Amino acid sequence: MLAWLESTAFSVWIRESPSMLAFPGILSLHTIGMGIVAGINGVIALRILGAAPDVPLGEMRRFLPMMWLGFWVNAASGAALLIGYPTKALTNPVFYVKLGCIAAALVLVVAIRRRVLTAGGLASAKRLAVASLVCWTGAITAGRLLAYTYRHLLSR
Amino acid sequence: MAVFQIWLVRTLASAHPVAAAMRTRWGWPTAETIHFIGLSLLVGCVGTFDLRLLGVGKRIPIAALHKLIPWGVFGWVLNLLSGLTFLMTEPDQYIYNPSFHFKLLFMGIAGANALTFYATLYRRVTAVDASPPPRWAKVIAATSLSMWIGVIVCGRLLTFYRPAPCGDDGPGFLAECIPSTKRVR
Repeated sequence: MLAWLESTAFSVWIRESPSMLAFPGILSLHTIGMGIVAGINGVIALRILGAAPDVPLGEMRRFLPMMWLGFWVNAASGAALLIGYPTKALTNPVFYVKLGCIAAALVLVVAIRRRVLTAGGLASAKRLAVASLVCWTGAITAGRLLAYTYRHLLSR
Repeated sequence: MAVFQIWLVRTLASAHPVAAAMRTRWGWPTAETIHFIGLSLLVGCVGTFDLRLLGVGKRIPIAALHKLIPWGVFGWVLNLLSGLTFLMTEPDQYIYNPSFHFKLLFMGIAGANALTFYATLYRRVTAVDASPPPRWAKVIAATSLSMWIGVIVCGRLLTFYRPAPCGDDGPGFLAECIPSTKRVR
């Protein structure tokens, strides 16, 4: 299965094309998306925790469409990187830690939007914000460590 | 310029304790992780402010949103420090790398752009009775966004433009290859 995926033309192109649009370009997109997603979620968390208190809390919602754009850019670029090196990621437990952090963070995004930004204020808002910061920091850390913790680069 | 680059590489390389710490098992990965967290903090805070100037979230007072900028500056400082640890460990991989030259150029433009904002617009858009920002504020915001994206891309492309040792011609005005220091001196 992994060997087949690695032999597909798209996978080979991502890995071996000398074009800067292949692996380097996808990696760049993934990093820009990371800045947008973690950055905007981080800013919303900072606001909930008391930074920039004069910003109307509900208005932070206006930045969510841009955050989701970044998220989908990263889902797509992440899928492409995974197709390029499926074995490298899927045989590394750290990759699942990264996915777990992102999944938890997404649940938190939805909870924060519904219960804090829309309903306004909430006793547990600060706990959600701290959890969001922890999840995104964890996702970034796990993502970065993928380059140092993999055991198999390719299936063969 | 090449002579200055060679001096810079030597000066950076003299920070032996930093390089030794960076060469331990988790030194480099830790610094990289901090660099990426700082990146997100910087892009999150400065980027949302730029988006506001571009018209997103018009009901947010610009002065109120500006209170997030110190957090962006904190991210920038994190990245300056973590970035320096990379330079002190592998100076010639950066100082002679064309991607790093562009990264510095974009950072310089972003800095000059920010100074222009504070010199011309800041008071007007953060005043208590602030009117909507003038149309050219969007030029400042768009410049900021594109420069920081450029900085990210150049940072990511560094490893794909690793400099090789200079050929017989030696380094040009701006060295984009690793000069043989004996010959240049």
